[in-house]
Amino acid sequence: MSIEVPSSVDEFIQGEKEPASSGVVVVLGFVSMLSFLILYGILFPGRDMPVISEVLPMFEGVFDSGIWFFLLGVIFGAFSIIATMLTEATSE
Amino acid sequence: MDVIISTLATFWLLLALFFVLIKKGLWIFNDVAKGLSMFMLEKALGPAIDFVSGRSGSSSSTWIIHGLIWAFAASTFTFIGLWLSHDSSALHSFESWGYHPDSSELIYAGRLTALFGAIGMLVVGASLYSLPRLCGTHLASESNATLVSLLWTLSVLLMFVGSQNAVIAGITILPIANLLLTLASTALVINLILTVSEATQEIPFPGWLIVFAFVGNIAAVLAVFISGAFDEGVGQWLLFHLAGGTFFFCGVAGVSLYSVSVGSGNPLWSKSLVAFTLFGAVITINPMGSTDSSMVVDLFSLTSNELAPSSRDVISGSFLMALSAIPIIAFSANMLVTMRGSDAFVENPDSPGIAELNLGAWMLIPIAIGSLFVQTDALGGVNELNGISQSLDLMAIWLVMMPLSVGAALNVLPRASGRHQLSASRSRWAFWMMSGGAFLGLLITLMSDFTDMALTESMAEQGSSINQELRKVGSVMFYGAVIGAIFHCTNTISGQYRGRIMGDVSQASLSSIAIESYSLTGPTTIRKILASGANLDTEVSPSEQSEEKGSATEL
Repeated sequence: MSIEVPSSVDEFIQGEKEPASSGVVVVLGFVSMLSFLILYGILFPGRDMPVISEVLPMFEGVFDSGIWFFLLGVIFGAFSIIATMLTEATSE
Repeated sequence: MDVIISTLATFWLLLALFFVLIKKGLWIFNDVAKGLSMFMLEKALGPAIDFVSGRSGSSSSTWIIHGLIWAFAASTFTFIGLWLSHDSSALHSFESWGYHPDSSELIYAGRLTALFGAIGMLVVGASLYSLPRLCGTHLASESNATLVSLLWTLSVLLMFVGSQNAVIAGITILPIANLLLTLASTALVINLILTVSEATQEIPFPGWLIVFAFVGNIAAVLAVFISGAFDEGVGQWLLFHLAGGTFFFCGVAGVSLYSVSVGSGNPLWSKSLVAFTLFGAVITINPMGSTDSSMVVDLFSLTSNELAPSSRDVISGSFLMALSAIPIIAFSANMLVTMRGSDAFVENPDSPGIAELNLGAWMLIPIAIGSLFVQTDALGGVNELNGISQSLDLMAIWLVMMPLSVGAALNVLPRASGRHQLSASRSRWAFWMMSGGAFLGLLITLMSDFTDMALTESMAEQGSSINQELRKVGSVMFYGAVIGAIFHCTNTISGQYRGRIMGDVSQASLSSIAIESYSLTGPTTIRKILASGANLDTEVSPSEQSEEKGSATEL
């Protein structure tokens, strides 16, 4: 006598909790991206980066001080406060 | 003319009058006055009052959350102001939008939003919870107090706008902001006096400190205008310091003394020292704050006059500022001794805000002494120490007033809202970032100020490059205060929804490797208990033993 075990449940299943290692995958992605950008500079020295080299000059004279790195953090912080308010107030 | 003594005499007389009125009431008009005041606080506002919650503690929570958000804004403005002091063209790209960011204007905006937005709102929030408890009653109108927080926030927003652009469409902004602030303060004073009138027990001294913080501020403004000193540089300087000594110092002291006792679980160390703090704060002149009283001039739309005191004003002013060491030392000592021995520090997540209170109490004395030297120097017309006035003012805000008000607010908030902060770890990070950033950033900026003063004195033709480097490092360090404020905001807001419920011990705040409880079955050493994974928060429960002879178990 044998028991039939279905090969699939035919339903979409998603875990409730986020696995800790998923963050590692994202970081790995960022590191790979940076590595490829550096590799481009080594393989094609002196050649502009496609697309990026055309977009960046638009911001010339705007973000030309170190303070913008910090202001980026402030903007991120302000949005995180607003996002926290909205998500906490609307979550179940 | 002796401006200081004559103005102070009016101020003391007004305070005595307020005290008698609060204690004795209005004779046969008491009931009418109370009824009319309650009507003005609630029914007179029409449908607006129905938009806000009247739940107990709701007003306190609202004020505290507003205060923390303003702390973030204030730290950002101060950071940008400090940065622009060494790199004035860093934000020149804004000029294409018609905005010209300037270091002194942004530091001014930082001071206004820190004092009235962050510290002011946190002190009011903590007062709205602690004063009714000290009186053994409830707040007269929770709904009105909640609604007024919006008016106060609007006035602080206008202060920021006014600090960047004084006149818009022909309207001077800062006096309008001050008018709104006065309206909000009046509603708060009526609310608190009504609460005090319903007291069911003798009000302890911290409660009186809170009451005098609110009425003292009004008395200070009235005294300067009644005595006619508002038109003189000394009068404007005095109003700046009387407001600092009443609303800010008395308010911060009142809520801090309440919180330190509630948070540490220890009784307040000395009643007489609180009395010294209270009487000393209203009798003396608080030296903390800037030597420049332009804030008073701008808020009251006065004509700016040079600080030119008479010799009698110099003597009385310096003497009364030196006397302020008594309430300052009394307050600091009382705070520090009350905190003793109960493990109520940053490692103990069940005592939120205690670390901030500890820092503020420690920093108070050195900064007050430094301010005393700077103010005496300015009042005497010597102006040798004027170069460090701004940095000392920022230190008084960020290392004394801000930690004490944030500490008291963090301590009160879980009790008012019923929920703890979301994460004790993030709260700890926020403390270290905010205190470390403000301490190191402002200390390094102060070093740069001293270098500037030395170069000016030696009449050097070229500035020192190290000076610019110091200012750069100082501003970058101060960025920690911005990060700390962001952490506090997100932690507090999330805590209101998902924080551990007060009194719920099911989720003890321990780390994952520590054990929650340890059963003590027989005599053992503390070393063995610690070796088993216990820490200072582990609960040791002795298992009951009986020495009686055993017998059969009855079924």
